[in-house]
Amino acid sequence: MVDSIFLALSVLTIGSAIVALEIRSLIYGSIGLMLTLSGIAGFFLLLDAPFVAMFQLSVYVGSIAVLILFTVMLVRRELIFNKIEDSRRRYAGIGLMIIMMLGIGTIIIGSGLKSMETDTASVDYKKIGEDFLTYYSPALIVMALILASAVIGALALARREDVTSDQRAD
Amino acid sequence: MSTIAPEFRLSRFIASLVDIIFWILLIFTIVGLPIVFIMLFYIKLPVINGQLLTPYLALTWLADPSRTIPIIKSFIHSTFFRVAVFPGFGFAALLAAATIFVERKFLAKMQLRVGPLYCGKIEGILQLMGDGLKLMSKEIIIPAKADKPIFWIGPLLFVGTAGAFVSLIPVAPGWVVANPNVGLLAVFATIGFFPIIVVLSAWAANSKWTFIGGLRALHQMISFEIPLILSLLSIVILSGTLNLSQIVESQKHYWWIVFTPISAIVFFITIIAELERIPFDLPEAESEIVAGWLTEFSGMMYGLIQLGTYLKLYAFAGLFTVLFLGGWNGPMVWPPFPTDIITNGITIGPITAKFPGLPLFDQEMLNGTLWFVIKTVGVILVILLPRGVFPRIRIDMLLHTGWYKWIGLAFVNIFIALGLLYAGVLGPGGLIQ
Repeated sequence: MVDSIFLALSVLTIGSAIVALEIRSLIYGSIGLMLTLSGIAGFFLLLDAPFVAMFQLSVYVGSIAVLILFTVMLVRRELIFNKIEDSRRRYAGIGLMIIMMLGIGTIIIGSGLKSMETDTASVDYKKIGEDFLTYYSPALIVMALILASAVIGALALARREDVTSDQRAD
Repeated sequence: MSTIAPEFRLSRFIASLVDIIFWILLIFTIVGLPIVFIMLFYIKLPVINGQLLTPYLALTWLADPSRTIPIIKSFIHSTFFRVAVFPGFGFAALLAAATIFVERKFLAKMQLRVGPLYCGKIEGILQLMGDGLKLMSKEIIIPAKADKPIFWIGPLLFVGTAGAFVSLIPVAPGWVVANPNVGLLAVFATIGFFPIIVVLSAWAANSKWTFIGGLRALHQMISFEIPLILSLLSIVILSGTLNLSQIVESQKHYWWIVFTPISAIVFFITIIAELERIPFDLPEAESEIVAGWLTEFSGMMYGLIQLGTYLKLYAFAGLFTVLFLGGWNGPMVWPPFPTDIITNGITIGPITAKFPGLPLFDQEMLNGTLWFVIKTVGVILVILLPRGVFPRIRIDMLLHTGWYKWIGLAFVNIFIALGLLYAGVLGPGGLIQ
């Protein structure tokens, strides 16, 4: 049962990733990306981590994929994409991917990680919170600083001084 | 009298129904019964417990409550019943349908109109059924240059996502379709799917009205999702769990709205915006952009979207009840099941019928459902109320309040909740338990 679900999820994830890369229509490409990210959420559910799976769904599918859709719909694609049709690049990419997959595959098979345990209890999110506030607190602080600086940077970039707010009357 | 069908008389309608029933009975007696007997003559009937299973015996067994009640009871506790009937789709769709009718009458009374009146004779109670039949019989028109796969699947996905949202709402103790430990996060993940479906179906229709409406919906839903999530964090801090059933159980003595009124206000306004209702109905503004992102949907596709919208309304009102108003908690007002029916059965004249296996539902579940429905219907009425009162606001004012004011206000109650927690008033091991 678990193996068949794993296989179905793998086919879904990899297939929609290929669709996201290869299809001509940008909208269908972003739908493929959404399916890929949902498939990864399914992997997290399979690994007994519903907390991470729900965050994967609400952050990646609910926010990032929506932002990509937004961008695709609002920007005319001739302005941002130059068509580069080069079959040699594609073959080089496929070759590079096969080499990487073989390398990672040999490492994983060599590590002895061959089977999935299905009867373990799901990870408690309270334990994750405790670990974050005790052992991993430096990582939490660094993450918070990075996010805060990103938000401040985004605000500084988005700020426009030439526009006066006389249109808004609230 | 109605001007559409001036010759209509209810007595003639009933007379025609009686006529049809008479002819069906006559034809069945003359033609149907001989066929049944001929079939019974040739079919070899099974023997069960040494008795020949004649149709009369089979019907007697079916009518015997001591044999049928256990079957019904085991069906009630099956997963299919939960998904399709009681806390799941059937219950929610019933409440949603009632909401549509109540909304029309309620708004009409607020504006000194009469609302639906003719259909069904008594205050137009059959209007909804008539609307449903009309929508089912209408032609589904697809625009010529529409993107057909996405356009077809949009309404189905909308209803499916609303159904997934409904399945997470606990109605009575133990009566919930899906009860994951991360229930509130599952709610956030489900809400995140709505803007995608809206903007994709708006794009697929290939019309400027739907596209403008879809972009407006996207702006609005994304900007109001953040205060929605932030306003619920104070509940998580106070109750210490993400499981919705446990959040309800933590409100046994007092409702969380007592300690988090600001969160409740922010959450209420964000759910009005997420539901695209007046004053935040910019995505469907009918006087500006025809019907917004719903413009090109016709027939049952529009009906499905409408069903999904009202399922979503019920689910949000139920979520408000669960998180702030104590869910199914309330004084025990439901009368207990009479014990002499269980022990002695019902005696009618010479016959005594015994009903082993009764009652079908226990008292706590019925009482909890009663309180949940009362509170949810109250919240739904308060959600319907602004539609008759407020005008629509402008998109820049909406985004400005969403990004600046509601997010700021949503943080206030988080700090109040943290203060109450660290002062030792609330939470695990607090003064008030």
